[in-house]
Amino acid sequence: MSIIFFLIGASTIVAVIFLAAFVWAMRNGQYDDEHSPAVRILGDGHKPAQATGKAPNTKP
Amino acid sequence: MEKQTAEQLTCYHCGDTCREEHLHFDDKDFCCHGCKAVYGLLQESGLCDYYELTEQPGVKEVGDTTTIRAELFDLPEVREKLVEYSEDGITRVKLHVPQMHCSSCIWLLENLQRVEPAIIRSRVRFTSKELSITFREERFSLRQLVELLRRIGYAPLLSGSGKAESQRGPGVPRMLYIKLGVAGFAFGNIMLFSFPEYLGADTSDPQLMKGFQFLNFLFSLPVLFFSSTGFFTSAWAGLRNRTVNIDFPIALGIIALFSRSVWDVLTGYGPGYFDSLGGLIFFLLLGRWYQAYTYQAMSFDRSLNDFLPLVVLRKSGEQEEPVSVGDLKQGDHIVVRDQELIPVDGVLRQGTGNIDNSFITGEPLPVRRNVGDTIRAGGRQRGAAIELEVLRPFQQSHLKRLWEEHSGTNGTQRPAMPKLIDGVAKRFTVAVILISVAAGLYWAGRDMDMVWPVVTAVLIVACPCALALSMPFAYGHAMRLLGKAGLYLRDSEVVERLSRIDQVVFDKTGTLTAREAYELRFTGRPLTADEARRVHALARNSTHPLSAVLAEQLRPRDAASDALPVIEVHETPGQGIEGTVQGLSLRIGSAAFASAAEQPREAGEAHVHIAIAGIHRGHFVMRKRARHGMADTVEGMRALASVGLLTGDATVDPEVQRAFRESEVRTACTPPDKAAHVRELQEAGRRVLMVGDGLNDAGALQQSDVGISVSETSAALTPASDAILDAQYLHRLPGAMLLTRRAHRIVIASLAISLTYNITGVSFAVAGKLTPLIAAILMPLSSVTVVGFVTIAIGIAARQVGLHSRN
Repeated sequence: MSIIFFLIGASTIVAVIFLAAFVWAMRNGQYDDEHSPAVRILGDGHKPAQATGKAPNTKP
Repeated sequence: MEKQTAEQLTCYHCGDTCREEHLHFDDKDFCCHGCKAVYGLLQESGLCDYYELTEQPGVKEVGDTTTIRAELFDLPEVREKLVEYSEDGITRVKLHVPQMHCSSCIWLLENLQRVEPAIIRSRVRFTSKELSITFREERFSLRQLVELLRRIGYAPLLSGSGKAESQRGPGVPRMLYIKLGVAGFAFGNIMLFSFPEYLGADTSDPQLMKGFQFLNFLFSLPVLFFSSTGFFTSAWAGLRNRTVNIDFPIALGIIALFSRSVWDVLTGYGPGYFDSLGGLIFFLLLGRWYQAYTYQAMSFDRSLNDFLPLVVLRKSGEQEEPVSVGDLKQGDHIVVRDQELIPVDGVLRQGTGNIDNSFITGEPLPVRRNVGDTIRAGGRQRGAAIELEVLRPFQQSHLKRLWEEHSGTNGTQRPAMPKLIDGVAKRFTVAVILISVAAGLYWAGRDMDMVWPVVTAVLIVACPCALALSMPFAYGHAMRLLGKAGLYLRDSEVVERLSRIDQVVFDKTGTLTAREAYELRFTGRPLTADEARRVHALARNSTHPLSAVLAEQLRPRDAASDALPVIEVHETPGQGIEGTVQGLSLRIGSAAFASAAEQPREAGEAHVHIAIAGIHRGHFVMRKRARHGMADTVEGMRALASVGLLTGDATVDPEVQRAFRESEVRTACTPPDKAAHVRELQEAGRRVLMVGDGLNDAGALQQSDVGISVSETSAALTPASDAILDAQYLHRLPGAMLLTRRAHRIVIASLAISLTYNITGVSFAVAGKLTPLIAAILMPLSSVTVVGFVTIAIGIAARQVGLHSRN
C-alpha cells in the first residue's frame, strides 16, 4: 500500500505546480482586465488598411 | 413623407438621430461636423474597420463641461502625474478615458500609431478604462496627444489618470484572489484525504490513516497562516478599539478548529476537523470576495480641484498664457470661454457675462452681468468669451470658502449609526463563551477527559460563518440591483443605513426640477407653423438663455430644412431682440419691448413676448419642468418616511408646492441653513436622508445620515455623498428605499436561520457527539443555505418593488 503515498506525492506536486502558476498569473496582473484581451483577438483580423490616399496624411 | 425619412436617419459615427444638421459625406450620414471630421480622420489613416467591428461606435463630441483644457497638459505638475516613464525622448503615460465602451473603441485606441506615427504603442485596459500610450515626445507633445484623443472623441479625464490612481484603484485586490485560490486548493485536497473517513473506511491500516491525517495537517498550514490572516488582524484591531466584531468569534473558531485537530491527530483521538477548517476559510473568503466585487468603481469623494479648471488663460498684453489657478494674483486678467467655470472672484472687464450659477445654487436660469460687475467664483459662463480682472487669489475666493465651510473637508465625520452585525457579534460571542464554559463545567463533574473535546467542539461549531456571510451577500446583492436601477451606492453599508431612514429632505432646484428642461406654453393668438419658424430663426441669433430655450423648442422637426435667413438683427441687452425674417419684422423680448402690458407671473416663471409686424401676438410662459414622476416620488417617499423640502429659492413652483402640500417646506435657505436644518432634525431623533444636487447641498449631504446626490450625466460633478442617483430614475427612489427595508428584514431572517444551525450544532457539541463528519456537513450546509436564501429573497423583493431589470 505504500505505493499510494508515492502516487499522492506525485499528484500533489503537480497540483502545487498549478497552484504556483495561478499565483504567478495573478501577481502578474493577468486577471486584472478580463475584457480587452478577448476583444483584441477580434481586432487581429482587421489589420489597419493602407491609407486610402484620398487625403494624404499631412500631419506633422 | 420626407419628414419621416429625415427622422430615421442616424449618424454613421455616433448613432444619434440626425436632427439639427444633416451632413452627407462619402455615402454616409452624419449628425454634425464633429462626427464627420472624426470619420474623415479615420478614413485618412485607413482605420475604417472601426465602423465594422461595432455599428455606430463613435462618441459624439459635446461641449462637455467636464473636459479639461488641453493647455493643462503643458503644466509640469500635471505631466509629472501622468507620466509613468520617460527616457531618451520616449515617454509612457497612463490616461483615464471613460468614453471607451465597445470593441471598436479598443481597436481604434490600440491602433493610434496609424493616425500619428510618433505614437509607438498604445494599450487599453478596458475594465479600468485606462489607456497607456508610449510615444516619442520630442516629435509629439503630451498636449498634442491629448488634443488628438479629444479630436477622435476620447478626451481623457484628469481625475483617475496617472500611476497613483491606478494603484489604489477599486476592484478586488489581487491578494484576496490568491488567498481564495490557496484556500480552495487546500480545502479540495483535505476533503479528498478525508474521504476514507467519511465512508467509514476500516482502521485496519493505521499507517494509511496516519498518513492521510498528516497530509491534512500539512495542507491546513497554508490555510491557517496565509489565507485566514485577515480575520485575525481584523479581530485584533477590533479588540484594540475595545469592541468585539464579527471576526472575533470567527478567529476564536479557527484557533479552536486548528488546535483541536492537531491535538486529535497527535493523541490518536480522531482524524481532526481539518476539512471543516478548509471549508470555513474558503466560504468566508468567498464572502469577502463578494463584498469587494460589489464595491462600485465610482468616485464618491471629490475635492474642489475636481470641479475647477486647473488651468486658466491669463492675459498679459496681447498674449494669452495658461497658468494654474493657484498662481493667479490680484489684478491679473483672465479669459473665460463658453461653458467654462469661473475659478476666482473677479470684476468683468470685457464682454457680456451670462452666468449660470447652477453649480453653486442649482438655479438654472443664467444671470446677465455687464462690464464693471463683480462675478463670484463658481458660476459658468454661457456665450462668448469674457475677460475678468482677478479680485482675490483663489485661496481666498468665495468658492473655496463655501467648499471648506460646508462640505466637510475639515474632516468632520458623519454620525456613526450602530451596525446590526456588530450588535449581533457582541451578543453572539458572549453567548458562545458562556455556553462553552457551562458545558466544560458540566463535563468536569462527570468525565474530565471530555472537557477539552466538548469545549473546543462548542467553539468550532458556533463559529458564525453563516452569520458573517449573510450580510455581505444580502446587502451586496441589493446594492448591485440598485446600481442596475440607477442608484449607485458608495458601499453595501449604505443599504443598511438607508433602511433605517425615517425623514427625507429634498432639495428643489436641480433635484426635483430638471436643470435645463423647460415647459413652454403660449398665451395669445396661436402662431402658425410659418410664424414659429420665423421666431425660431430670430431667437437663435440671441445670446440670451431664454432665447436659446425658445429656439430649441421651436426648432422645426424637419431636419433637412435650414433656418430662415434673418436681416437687420438688433439686440438690446436685457430687453429683447428684433429683426426681419423674409420681409416680416419681429420683436422678441420683455413686455415693454414687444409693446404689450405686463402680465401677472407665477413663481419660477419667465415670460417672453412676441410681436410680429408691430402687433403683439402673445407671450410664451416658460417654467422649469419638474422631473419625470416627481409628484409620485414625493408621494411614494411620504408612505415610507416624513418628507420635507429645503430650497434656496424665495418661492416654490406650484407643481412642487402641490406635491409638498402637507409637508414642511422651507424657502430661502442658504447652504449653512440646509445643513443646520438637517442637524436639527437629527437632534430631534430623526435619521435623515438628504436628496440634493449642487454644491449648495454639499453641507447638508454631509450632515445627513445618508446623502444622495442626483446627477444628470454619469460624468457630471456631484458633491461628496453616499450614493448617486441617475436623475432620469428619480421615480425609482421609493422603490429603492423599500428594497433596503426588505433587505434589512431578509438579513434578520437569515440570521435566524444561521442561529438555528448554530444551536443544532452546539447541542451536538455539548452532548459530546460532534464528530468530524457532522461538523464537515453542518458548516458548509449552513453557509450555502444562508447565501442561497438571501440571494433569492433579495431578487424576489427587488421584483416586488419593481426594481428588477430595466422597466
